[in-house]
Amino acid sequence: MTFTVATIEAGVVRLTIEGELDVVTTSELRKGVDKLVDEKPRRIEVNLTSLRMVDSSGVGTLVSLYKRIRAQGGEVVITGLRDQPLAIFRLLRLDRVMLGSAPG
Amino acid sequence: MSPDPALIRMQMVGRLQLRDLVLRSVAAACKLVTPRGDHPGLQEFRLQVVTAVGEAFNNIILHSYEGRDDGLIELDIQTTPDQISIIFRDWGDSFDPDSVPLPDLDTLPESGLGIFIMKTLMNIRYAAGEPNVLTLSKNLDAKSSHAESATDPLGGEK
Repeated sequence: MTFTVATIEAGVVRLTIEGELDVVTTSELRKGVDKLVDEKPRRIEVNLTSLRMVDSSGVGTLVSLYKRIRAQGGEVVITGLRDQPLAIFRLLRLDRVMLGSAPG
Repeated sequence: MSPDPALIRMQMVGRLQLRDLVLRSVAAACKLVTPRGDHPGLQEFRLQVVTAVGEAFNNIILHSYEGRDDGLIELDIQTTPDQISIIFRDWGDSFDPDSVPLPDLDTLPESGLGIFIMKTLMNIRYAAGEPNVLTLSKNLDAKSSHAESATDPLGGEK
């Protein structure tokens, strides 16, 4: 798993996560998420186009990000979900809340 | 011609770093449930099995062997025509999946999701003891008739 954070414009960042986000790799992402939350962006776009697999701990990290940013009055939009990660989001009914529109 | 039943047995130290090795083995074994590995539902079946087994493996290490990195795990993979069973044995603290209440998904829980995923995707049996025995099984044809199978690869065990 690798992740990158890019500033799109003031207060808007894009978090791109690639590979397999699981119990082994999510601790690294969680540190990045903590840092991101501290910066109090008004909008985070999470690009998961190249995320191949996710497990419950990876989902937990993304839900944590979503809830913390929302609690600060910000917005989190997840894009690019497909295959196993999309199926997991649907199974856990997260697609209705965390995706801006119906996934393709 | 049906494939022969197969048994793969692995023994390992319970460490999360071995998760990928376990899941690759299980993914490969999923092909053994069909004669030529070309069943139309195989990809979906394999995704569901690998996802559920990954959660089971996590739970043993994070809960049964919490705070330890020397716990022993035995893993059997049994395949018969159209069915796979994965049997975990561990000698740590008992962790019965049925003792954990299912999460209320409407509250966006951050934990307890692994048990929900396991139970939704495979049939689960647990027997506490020395060792604890967790059995996950799934029939290939059981889910291939699922109405959403074409669009939802983790459609769930029905």
